[in-house]
Amino acid sequence: MATKLGAYAGKVLKINLSDQTVSEYPITDDDRKKYLGGKILAARIIYDFIKGPIDPLSEENVIVVSTSPLNGTGSPSSSRFNVSAISPLTGILTSSNCGGTFGLSLKRAGYDAIIITGKSPSLTYLEITENGVKFNDASHLKNMLTGQAQQAIDGKSGKLVIGPAGENLVRYACAVSDDRAAGRGGIGAVMGSKNLKAITAYGVMQQPIYNADKLAKLKKKWTKRLKSHPLTGKQLPMLGTGALLSVMNQKNLLATKNFNTGKFEDFRKISGEEMAEKYLVKNNGCITCPIRCARVVNLDGKNIKGPEVEIMGLMGANILNNDLKKIIEWNYELDELGMDTISTAGTIAFAMELNEKGMWDCGLSFGKVDNITDTLKEIAYNTTEVGKKLAKGARELSKMFGGQEFCMQSKGMELSAYEPRAAVGQGLGYSVANRGGCHLNAGYAVVLEGLGLSVDPYTTRGKAQLAIMFQNLMEGASAGGSCLFTTYAFFPFFLMSKPNSIVTKLVNFLFPYFGPVIKIANKFPDILHLNLTSMLPHPVAITYATGMKYKMGDLMKAGSRGFNLERLINTKLGISQKDDKLPKRLTDEEQIKGDKRTKVPQEKLKRQFYKGRGWDENGMVKLSTLRYLGIDKLDDDPIYTRPLEEQGVVKVIAPKSIRKSIKKHIGS
Amino acid sequence: MVKVEFFGIYRLSYKMSSWEVDAHSISDLLKKLSKKFPVFTYKELKNSVIMVNDVNFLHLKKYKTKLCDGDSVFIMSPASGG
Ligand code: SF4
Repeated sequence: MATKLGAYAGKVLKINLSDQTVSEYPITDDDRKKYLGGKILAARIIYDFIKGPIDPLSEENVIVVSTSPLNGTGSPSSSRFNVSAISPLTGILTSSNCGGTFGLSLKRAGYDAIIITGKSPSLTYLEITENGVKFNDASHLKNMLTGQAQQAIDGKSGKLVIGPAGENLVRYACAVSDDRAAGRGGIGAVMGSKNLKAITAYGVMQQPIYNADKLAKLKKKWTKRLKSHPLTGKQLPMLGTGALLSVMNQKNLLATKNFNTGKFEDFRKISGEEMAEKYLVKNNGCITCPIRCARVVNLDGKNIKGPEVEIMGLMGANILNNDLKKIIEWNYELDELGMDTISTAGTIAFAMELNEKGMWDCGLSFGKVDNITDTLKEIAYNTTEVGKKLAKGARELSKMFGGQEFCMQSKGMELSAYEPRAAVGQGLGYSVANRGGCHLNAGYAVVLEGLGLSVDPYTTRGKAQLAIMFQNLMEGASAGGSCLFTTYAFFPFFLMSKPNSIVTKLVNFLFPYFGPVIKIANKFPDILHLNLTSMLPHPVAITYATGMKYKMGDLMKAGSRGFNLERLINTKLGISQKDDKLPKRLTDEEQIKGDKRTKVPQEKLKRQFYKGRGWDENGMVKLSTLRYLGIDKLDDDPIYTRPLEEQGVVKVIAPKSIRKSIKKHIGS
Repeated sequence: MVKVEFFGIYRLSYKMSSWEVDAHSISDLLKKLSKKFPVFTYKELKNSVIMVNDVNFLHLKKYKTKLCDGDSVFIMSPASGG
């Protein structure tokens, strides 16, 4: 459906792999205003398709690849796109953000999003251009690693591919674009289950910008702020996210030995500093990003992508490995095999503890690294019994062998590398995050509780409200197309660069007491009818790019709408308060023996969170909340029932072999 | 001697991971450090995160924190994030 807004392509395609039909999907400008793009628009689309629990690896599942208004506008760090589906790892909604070029290429081809349904009868890859969608035979790409597959597909197109892990339905398989992954939740397995090896997109369409002059000026200022901010201008470019590891260790935040503690004796050997000195070639970044947090490292003469802090922690401290070279190697292999690094590492650590406790003789042991490379392959190719079991993820292992209390997952998703007993707001976030134990969807409160600021990590005061505020902010920024790291520049410089000043100390002390004020702003974001352009340029950029009048409150409200919409979908899939929980190790055992503060007071925090979110005690979104957010009547208005202004019939080209096999498959 | 370890941008800027110095307080240590390696001034160093034997010096006596032989001091970048 065409759009009157700037920066949008105005077209969403629905591609049915079963019968190879392609049609336009009737998204309107009202939808664009409410749901922006990325993960929120994807949630709105998926909402209509989900009536109740499904088998995520069946053809009932739907994949939505969605771009955002700021993609393609040249706004700093705003080239990120989203992939959503029902996760085979968790059984609930997952959304995965990716910095590869595929999103931009999709927009250049003239589409804001694609919806993929059904299942191809044989391995296929989709070629999307301005002229339509071509279904290609992908048998020559079978079992190819993600790098190989991208090379084998010719052309200047943006690519999204899966590796052997996706084809073999590893529940936490990812999809890869360039060397960036849509990592979490098993998007790769969903593609694999649909026999979809890859999607490519190519075009030269440029979307008009509503106010190009003003946007150009804003981009300059925004870039300048990102470059001069201590976090986004210095720390991240110089050391990448790896810089965090030493700080995490100092603050008991570094998950060690399957989250037994928060400190690792050998942290120096696996730190960001060590990587910078011994392996770093240069820093790298997603397109249009001045921060460039990614690393290029040299491994035995070959330049490859370096690891992020999460994998450095989880494949280092959490399995008692002090060999950074191994971590670099595994990180590269995982991307090539197409498996999420965090879930793989979390599952392996759990298996190690099961083995240590005599509950599963799997051959994996803490500190033993010589069999990990083989294990990764066994998982990806499903070649051994141990590999097959590990491929199901930690929660499934705990159903087979027990150990729920030390199975470090929430709603089926393995936790990231931050030990939440030293940051209880982060602990709350893990337990209520929509996609499971994800540090970002959690609200990333650990940035306030030790990584960026030094707000008391143990107090429960104000934490629920802070988590909600940052969840909403990050959801909104992500749906706009911006990298979440851009939201760090929200913090005034002095808070980061002068940690010992009285003002910083005072802010850290007072932050939790802002809870009641933040609560009002969280509940009624409309009151934030203003823009703080230098601190939070996102809504202003959206306004200049699209012509929609966005203020800070609109961005936060869109974020809240997205979070609640995802919760609604999860509710349809059976989620309630019983699922918002952490393993007992984190809630019942003190991290530092004798220090009662060092465990997550989950129930208390959860109650505050539900109240702040406008949910009932059972974790259901209240009708009043839905009404305020304008998502109370979705069931009366499924998007697919709307008439299309112009029935866009999109050209479909498929090779004969595929047409034949489809005819056989659908019997017509 | 006090063992000083550098992290974050300090380690990359000084191009060394540790240094030993005879210092009786944090402020004495920072002065000596800025004099010996003028990569950062004393004023700039005052904005680092400083840990003395694993405890943030803000919980001790800040710049007046006394140091003894064998103490361990970490000098870390102020902003982290990730
Ligand atoms: S900060 Fe890092 S992840 Fe974010 S856009 Fe830039 S390079 Fe990509």
